[in-house]
Amino acid sequence: MGGGEERRAWITLASADGAAEETLAVLIGQFGSAQEVLRRAADGRLAVWSKSTLNASGRHPLTRPVLAAIEAAARDPDALLWAIAHLGLWSLTPLDHAYPAGLRDLDPPPPVIHGLGDPEALVQRRAVAVVGTRRPTPAGRLLTTRICARLVECGAAVISGLAIGIDGTAHAATVERGGRTVGVIGAGHSRPGPRAHAALRDRIAGARGAVVSEHHPGVRASRGTYPRRNRVIAALGDAVIVVEAPLRSGALITARHALELGRPVFVAPGRVDDWSVAGSLALLRDSPAQPMVGLDELIADLGYFDSTDDDASAGSQIDGARRPALAMLGPAERQVAERLCAGPAGLDLLVADTGLPPSVVSGAVTLLLLRGWAQPMGPAYLPSGPLAE
Amino acid sequence: MLATLVTAVINGLRGELVRVEIDVAPGLPVCHIVGLPDAALSEARERVRSAIRNSGFDYPTSRITVNLAPADRRKRGAAYDLAIAVGILVASGQIRQGGGAWALLGELSLSGAVEMVPGVLPMVATLSRSGYTRIGVPAGNIAEAGLVAGVHAVGVAGLDDAARLVAGPRGRTASRAERRPQVEVSGPRAGRQPARDAGAGALTAPVAPVDLAEIRGQGHARWALEVALAGGHNLLLVGPPGAGKTLLARSIPGLLSPLTDEEAMDVTVIESVAGVLRDGGLRRDRPFRAPHHTSSYAALVGGGPNLSPGEATLAHHGVLFLDELAEFDRPALDALRQPLEEGFLTIARATGRVRYPARFQLVAAMNPCRCGYFNDPDQPCRCAAGDAERYVRRVSGPFLDRIDIRIEMARVPALELLGGPPPEDSAVVRARIAAARARSLARNDGHPNAALTGSAVVRLCALAPAVNSRLAELAASRKLSARGVHRLLRVARSIADLAGHAEAAEADVLAAAALREPIGSVGDLRAA
Repeated sequence: MGGGEERRAWITLASADGAAEETLAVLIGQFGSAQEVLRRAADGRLAVWSKSTLNASGRHPLTRPVLAAIEAAARDPDALLWAIAHLGLWSLTPLDHAYPAGLRDLDPPPPVIHGLGDPEALVQRRAVAVVGTRRPTPAGRLLTTRICARLVECGAAVISGLAIGIDGTAHAATVERGGRTVGVIGAGHSRPGPRAHAALRDRIAGARGAVVSEHHPGVRASRGTYPRRNRVIAALGDAVIVVEAPLRSGALITARHALELGRPVFVAPGRVDDWSVAGSLALLRDSPAQPMVGLDELIADLGYFDSTDDDASAGSQIDGARRPALAMLGPAERQVAERLCAGPAGLDLLVADTGLPPSVVSGAVTLLLLRGWAQPMGPAYLPSGPLAE
Repeated sequence: MLATLVTAVINGLRGELVRVEIDVAPGLPVCHIVGLPDAALSEARERVRSAIRNSGFDYPTSRITVNLAPADRRKRGAAYDLAIAVGILVASGQIRQGGGAWALLGELSLSGAVEMVPGVLPMVATLSRSGYTRIGVPAGNIAEAGLVAGVHAVGVAGLDDAARLVAGPRGRTASRAERRPQVEVSGPRAGRQPARDAGAGALTAPVAPVDLAEIRGQGHARWALEVALAGGHNLLLVGPPGAGKTLLARSIPGLLSPLTDEEAMDVTVIESVAGVLRDGGLRRDRPFRAPHHTSSYAALVGGGPNLSPGEATLAHHGVLFLDELAEFDRPALDALRQPLEEGFLTIARATGRVRYPARFQLVAAMNPCRCGYFNDPDQPCRCAAGDAERYVRRVSGPFLDRIDIRIEMARVPALELLGGPPPEDSAVVRARIAAARARSLARNDGHPNAALTGSAVVRLCALAPAVNSRLAELAASRKLSARGVHRLLRVARSIADLAGHAEAAEADVLAAAALREPIGSVGDLRAA
């Protein structure tokens, strides 16, 4: 029996609907190998064992639906494996050397990870999870973009959850700057995250990144799958950065998982009484998570400073990048750009704050958009490119 | 004895000639109406009998047959009452047709008073074209009847007035009316018509326009509105509740130029047929219609059992304002695509097929999501993830594609509401819009910039070579289709017209690009 057979059995067993890794750990511990578990499932001995055994909490180790699913998988393993091959997915199990080391910190680790794109993205020297709300403010998106730009400069992969909001912004900003990013989805690959992110998924996979799931392709997202997905995000990163988290945000679950795993958690603070960071502030108060007080401090805390060369004076560096950029602009564009550097603003606000006629402001914004120095975010515009550094 | 009178019917917005033939013959006392009458018309026999009696005439105790010709066309409404009643008087020998050929329009009340009817203006026009220039119309409709040149229209308040017209000075035979005083009928008659008029007025009275001086902040949105009105471009305002979308739209009536003579006649005809003509005179102010989002399909596009024009047609030559666009019935919105494209609506029903003009400028407002606070910096959006996108998608893509100018509005910071110099008032802006509009109409053969398509855009909105390369850059970065480029050019043309430029400059093109933003999209998608 080669390792290949055991690997196939492992993937088959993990793909059985409802078989969580805790169950698998028990079964493999009991019977020695996944192949043995499948053999016993196929000839009915597994059912006999489960019905005759009570675990510590006085229950049978396998519930009836899980037992049925494992038996079905044992009878027809090819159907499950074919679905994976059909989507062009690669799979990693803890038996593989390429299995991300960070995931082994989980107890028990996910028995299998299915992925699209480049598996190398999972084993980068540096990786940071950037997570936050599905309903970010324009300022939150801007901060996410800036954080990811710095992480890319440091050669770190950005891990997130491919959800709408901060997650999507983090992935997009990383891909845009040529970085690797890993999206962990909370359902099977046949039913991946928000429809709106189909294009983003392909771009991540195409830019040496990866989109991964611990679920068999056919599994639908349900109540439990997203919180579970969050522990994978936490485990894949060296640290977790929480950008904007209202109360009860999923990002807080990711942060708690990270703290349990001993990973540092950085929280971008915000204004007191601001709903968009209420969860972030609660996290700062109630946990050992650290506040993120600036991009350079963040990079320093992460210990990533070695690859950025002139890091001595961070503040002046930022201004330094902006100044020559601003000097290239005409007077009206410069006035608008300077206003945008002070914070996101919609066209009405730009008109009011610059005092320029609306047609001039509109033209200036269009020019900045064309150059990639501004980007729209709902009714507001954010500085981008050299202005956002 | 046989009598023939002439009256008219409304089909679509046109009047059609109808001959009313009445035969009074010995037999059992019954009254038959033939010639495809509808319910309101079948009830005419009850109204006519009471009106004849209460006007001091005798209702003949004979067999009465009323034929409405042409017989193959369905007849609706109560405008034939007067012709039928007078015809019975003639056919029963109570009056002679000594006054020449009179056409009669009007509904009768039981007292014999003549009530107003919708569509008098086009009906009178048709009668006049057919050679019937002497027309008796309800007294309340006399003003609109008088708008048709070369017509001798007389307002009749009661059946006896109409009888006197038809009979001529000496044509009236002796009737009991000579002996009976008419006080009973003239009293209530005087009171009735103003009452009906007032009711209609309250329903259709225009909301007083908001003056732009009352709107603070929103500099960009005000300017976008100015460009839209100057070029006749359709406009969509997207923003959270309280951003001032509706307020801005309510300022539109105060910014529109008056109707031209020709347009005024079109609008008056439509209002006449719809029965909403207020004082009966020529309508001079440009229509501004703001139907509620619960309006039915028929109310919006027209139709209904009696085939009447809808809001889209009532907004002809004016502005149709749809507040809460995404809340409108989807089929109704999609039905507006035809008028947005072609300027008219075709409605086919079992009872007939009509074509209503509907060349309106669309101004629409909507929230970015169901709760309204999507992407709002200060207020959390309470919609589930993905709901905002679904909400915006309720308005179909082809519909949105007809809208040249789409902008997002944010709420005005409180500080701005209080301070700052007073904004321009409507009179100043109206003058600027009128000047720009005059420039564009003169250049485009009387079409607003928004109506330019295909080769006309390329010809009339030509750019300098340097500006063309900027346009190409914009088109490439935004992945604009040919239609998208034309749209950009049209809007740039309007911006140039406002600025008084002979040719759209680079600044105009760049500014135009900021007037069409992808709406309600999820931010990280755009970053992606």
